[in-house]
Amino acid sequence: MSVLRSALGKLVGGSSIEIDGAPAAEMSVAPDSAEQIARLLDFASEHGLSVLPWGSGLHQGFGHRVEPDVIVSTSRLSGVIEWNPDDLTVVAGGGTTLGVLDSEIAGRRQSAVLPETAHDATVGGVLAAGVSGWRRLRYGPSRERVLQVVSVTGDGRMVTGGARVVKNVTGYDLPRLMVGSFGSLGIITSVCLKLWPIPEASATVSTNDPERALAICYRPQAVLETRQGVSVYLAGTAAEVEAQATALGGETSEGHSWPEEPSGECVVRVRVLPGDVSSTLKRLGTDEVVGAHGVGEVVAAIEPDEITGHREWVEARGGAVVIERAPTVVYESVDPWGAVPPTVELQRRIKAAFDPLRVLVPGRLPGGV
Amino acid sequence: MLGSHDALVSELALIVGADAVKAGDLDRHLYGKDAGVARGEVSVVVLPKTARQVAAVVRLAITHGIAVVPRGSGTGLAGGTVPETPAILLVTTRMNQVEVDARNQTAWVGPGTINLDLSNHVVSLGLHFAPDPSSQAACTIGGNVANNSGGPHCLADGSTVNHVLAVEFVTAQGEIVVAGSGAPDPSGLDVRGVMVGSEGTLGVVTRVLVNLLPNPPAIRTMLMAFPEVAGAAATVSDVIAAGIIPAALEMMDRPLIRAVENFVHADLPVDAAAVLLAEVAGHAAGVDVEAQIIEEIATDNGAFQLRRAADVEERELLWKARKSSFGAIAQVAPDYYLHDTVIPRTKLVEVLDQIYEIATRHDVLVLNTIHAGDGNLHPLFAFDGSDPDVVARVSMAADEIVEVSIAAGGMLSGEHGIGLEKRDLMHLVFSPVDLDAQARLRDAFDADGVMNPLKVLPAGARCFDFGRPVPEGVWI
Repeated sequence: MSVLRSALGKLVGGSSIEIDGAPAAEMSVAPDSAEQIARLLDFASEHGLSVLPWGSGLHQGFGHRVEPDVIVSTSRLSGVIEWNPDDLTVVAGGGTTLGVLDSEIAGRRQSAVLPETAHDATVGGVLAAGVSGWRRLRYGPSRERVLQVVSVTGDGRMVTGGARVVKNVTGYDLPRLMVGSFGSLGIITSVCLKLWPIPEASATVSTNDPERALAICYRPQAVLETRQGVSVYLAGTAAEVEAQATALGGETSEGHSWPEEPSGECVVRVRVLPGDVSSTLKRLGTDEVVGAHGVGEVVAAIEPDEITGHREWVEARGGAVVIERAPTVVYESVDPWGAVPPTVELQRRIKAAFDPLRVLVPGRLPGGV
Repeated sequence: MLGSHDALVSELALIVGADAVKAGDLDRHLYGKDAGVARGEVSVVVLPKTARQVAAVVRLAITHGIAVVPRGSGTGLAGGTVPETPAILLVTTRMNQVEVDARNQTAWVGPGTINLDLSNHVVSLGLHFAPDPSSQAACTIGGNVANNSGGPHCLADGSTVNHVLAVEFVTAQGEIVVAGSGAPDPSGLDVRGVMVGSEGTLGVVTRVLVNLLPNPPAIRTMLMAFPEVAGAAATVSDVIAAGIIPAALEMMDRPLIRAVENFVHADLPVDAAAVLLAEVAGHAAGVDVEAQIIEEIATDNGAFQLRRAADVEERELLWKARKSSFGAIAQVAPDYYLHDTVIPRTKLVEVLDQIYEIATRHDVLVLNTIHAGDGNLHPLFAFDGSDPDVVARVSMAADEIVEVSIAAGGMLSGEHGIGLEKRDLMHLVFSPVDLDAQARLRDAFDADGVMNPLKVLPAGARCFDFGRPVPEGVWI
């Protein structure tokens, strides 16, 4: 394998790096350009190596376990490449952290509305995992921000999909296909995102009736429930925030303070119909839980042996219980995804179109795609 | 094995009933075009009512070796439903069932449901379907899904793809599958996301799970008149830069204002070089503040008339004016060609100047209606199609508009789609490798070219192959 290390090292111009929390691999590298990644994936295809793309590692607990030969860190594909504040668009490298992105564009009070507290997560990783921030109730999921994605496919081709304009129906929607693909089709090297202006005022109001909050507020940013209670996250003009806070009548604090992510060894995302959030919260006994009313996402720390029981109940209601992170041994006995989607055969063919030799995270997606 | 045309027609009748098959010369002619300029060749028209019938039609098409072209109301402008080679035209207009889930604010909708009918259907629940193309009184949800349609109000709420949670569709192999779910973030590759905007080339959509939005409690609609186009365009940029995303922000130029006023009589300022129609929607306490800021920005940019709709009737009249461009054009010239490109919204003035220059140079009349807030241009050529010289000049001017849009960092289409119209321009905005990736994706759905062939991607998109061969027996 030293021959392999030496060949890979030549391709990316460096030696193996250490990545905290990464699984064992023959080599971990941090290429500094999409071209290097293309050469590397071409090499991997030639030699039948499996590759695990790595951003911050935050979402690596999703999906079937992969035993990679090579881990490709996107840490050197970091930084804002182009920011057009008057167009409300930004282009950033796939390895740019949300913290860096936010700080670069906050001067003009703009935001990509990605997960609020995951400052170390990378843009490419958030999109590859298809995760969204709490404010999706108002702004929609992260995928609605994606205008263009440049990626390197499993067979080493640099492919651009979409464009740097806010509205576009030119060709197939490759950018959306990359969102939630967990690196199975390509490694995201840069993205163009649509931005939103940050409203002038914001407030968090407590309530004991989430249904009423959703009914009387006009498209609040989030209505989140924890075991401490329900909070309504308002934003907009000062006048409308104040009017809605008064109408809700609960304890009001200025600004938004987001709940802590549930802590525990085994964390699941429970995805249900929006109307089933209350009953789901009731069913999950755990105290470490956040539920997003109006959205249908409940994040919970539970015991691994509870997954199957909850999954049966949730899947019967059209939802899913997906493992976000768990001890490795759990994946051996519990499927991290649950029910296999009905389009799985089609998904296999899509995977093959982009990664014919199954170099990228082989088997990570539902059904072993 | 190829069957005869008569055999195909009678076998289709067995699937959908004789009244749902149209094979006469007149029907085949009538269905042979959309609302654009292309005309194609329809072998037979079939109007199924159920997904199972659609699946049976697709399987029959496979055995007959004939293509299937899905179609809604035929309001498309890019030739997306016009068969270039003989095909079964599968018209979805009889698939118009709507099942509303009020608790989750969603609805399963048949693809043949008319866009406006859906919003009217749920108005009593205080909900609406956000995409509102100008053709919304006639276009279908299936067509909206195929083209990822927009409309004026997609500025704040996004195009159709943002409002589609799941699609049931018949694959090119004749199977019925569902992609997506009413619960957020379904696991696996986002097949639903790819189906939206695929122009009927990946399958026939037979049901759509749409997200419905609450109707805003308060709306302010403003018409602002400018002596110069530049003032209107600067207002657009300044509003966005001020941190306001209006529900809609539309522009019309002088030739269009005059044509529309003559048609709708909405008391539009016919002396203006351009008008902006802006709408803010939201909480009652917020909309007045935003409306006032927009009006101040317009005044700073030289607006000489500000008009705020006093009531629902006036608001509807202003929107009727905006959405009546087609009807109005009929008074100007017998034929029109409506273009659709998209540019970064900050390049509006620059590109509009170029459009006027192009029109003047080719001696053609161009009227502009623009989704200004998101940089989506709709130059509309009015002409007499009986004069081949004029037609040639319109065609040249249209091509040049595409070129200047791309040079400004734009794309071929913001909401009408590629279809036949822009298929052969795709290489202007995508590299051979990009187009090859799109062609591979399409092959993953439909390797045999059953679904709406020859659309979207130019011939030879998959003309080369430098990838490594897949060894025998590799499991994929």
